[in-house]
Amino acid sequence: MSVDQHLQALTKVVVNNLENQHDWTQVQTHNQDNLPRPLLYGLAPKRLYVHPDEQIEIIKAEKELNERIPQEPELEWVLPLHLAEKWSISDFSAVFDAITAIPPGGESVNANEDAQWQLWRGRKRGKRILLATVQDDSTVTYYWMHNGLVKPRQN
Amino acid sequence: MPSTEDDRQVRISKIAGRYLVFDIDDVAYIRRQHGICAVFTGTMPQNPTQNVFLGLPLELYAEDAKMLLDRKVAYIADDPLEHLNKLKSMDDETRKSYLQSIKTQRRTAQLVFDEAKAQSQARHKDKRKPKQPPVVVPTELPPASVADDAAVEQEEGGEESFFESPSKPVKTAPVAPQKPPVKEKLPAITPTTSNAMIHNGTSNPDVENHTALPLYSYLNERGYFITPGLRFGGDFSVYPGDPFRYHAHYMANSYGWDEKIPMLDLVTSGRLGTAVKKSFLMGGQKPATGDSEAGELRAFCIEWAGM
Repeated sequence: MSVDQHLQALTKVVVNNLENQHDWTQVQTHNQDNLPRPLLYGLAPKRLYVHPDEQIEIIKAEKELNERIPQEPELEWVLPLHLAEKWSISDFSAVFDAITAIPPGGESVNANEDAQWQLWRGRKRGKRILLATVQDDSTVTYYWMHNGLVKPRQN
Repeated sequence: MPSTEDDRQVRISKIAGRYLVFDIDDVAYIRRQHGICAVFTGTMPQNPTQNVFLGLPLELYAEDAKMLLDRKVAYIADDPLEHLNKLKSMDDETRKSYLQSIKTQRRTAQLVFDEAKAQSQARHKDKRKPKQPPVVVPTELPPASVADDAAVEQEEGGEESFFESPSKPVKTAPVAPQKPPVKEKLPAITPTTSNAMIHNGTSNPDVENHTALPLYSYLNERGYFITPGLRFGGDFSVYPGDPFRYHAHYMANSYGWDEKIPMLDLVTSGRLGTAVKKSFLMGGQKPATGDSEAGELRAFCIEWAGM
């Protein structure tokens, strides 16, 4: 099997898993010349990642408004990988350098940037990619990879 | 030892390939000013098996030592070698100043004893006062620490002869000498360090095996404190401030720029990091190319995505 075919198959497994096991929608394949392989992006049924500082801003805003702020899901990047692969820091750097923080089409979701907490969906959002690691039995595990030092969530 | 922190030179003793700091002021200085905690490795001579409360010396990572060296606030002394050299080549003046420093320590000890004695006497006097109005002059007591005066004299004699230049005949028999009556009676001490013998050295043996230095100093420059990471399953645990005040944020591993990392390592480390409420930090530095020397350092954090 050629490399291209392998990557296509890998991407397909991840797309199927996202759509059918995790109920993602709008899953798209993203090709770019400077990317070593196609990336995916899509919309999870509920919001997947909230930065701890953003969470503080949200709680502050909720206290001020005296109501819950619904957290709409965001478009997220997904990088399909196979468990047998080995990647180096330079490989990951190349991927992060090639992408924008927000996947295409994700910018328009939040027009109002007055509130501090909403900045985290716009210019304060750091680059992050969901690593989708596929094993031969078609198990897919998902891990966040953030660019730079990003403190852990309070879980 | 310089008193101001500006010109402090931390003495790092290199012993058997390990970097040790023996001066408690140096330990406080590098922790406060340079964000280095390192690891206490010394135990107590009285109870060498206890390993819960460890003290001096502090063992530094090679990365710590290199970092301090690069900041020009430390020097590395090849301790076994330097110690022997200093002992062998001690000139008259150094010998005198060393003996003088011993004497100063003994005077300090005497002062402490005197003070303690005065305090306890004052306490007793207060207790007795209501019963015995006439003031009783307390009888002269020998210095509290000294059980045997003869022992003190022996010690003094022994000490001086030990550092006598070899031309003079060395007294070996510790017969109580005819001491001049004016000599101070000071308690004998057993020096636990030979600091006074050693002045700022300049020997700088090379620091080896500091492969994690780029990531290490990257984190240190951003105010993070780094301790060994075995307890969380990585090379380093990284704290956002002094570990006395914060929980670790990251467990970190340092990699080469093109070092291939098995995906399973990322998954297991990410999983483990999340299980201990940390994120797994991996970092590496771009190697120097033809025209630019130090490449950028890239760091990535991995967390379980919860799906």
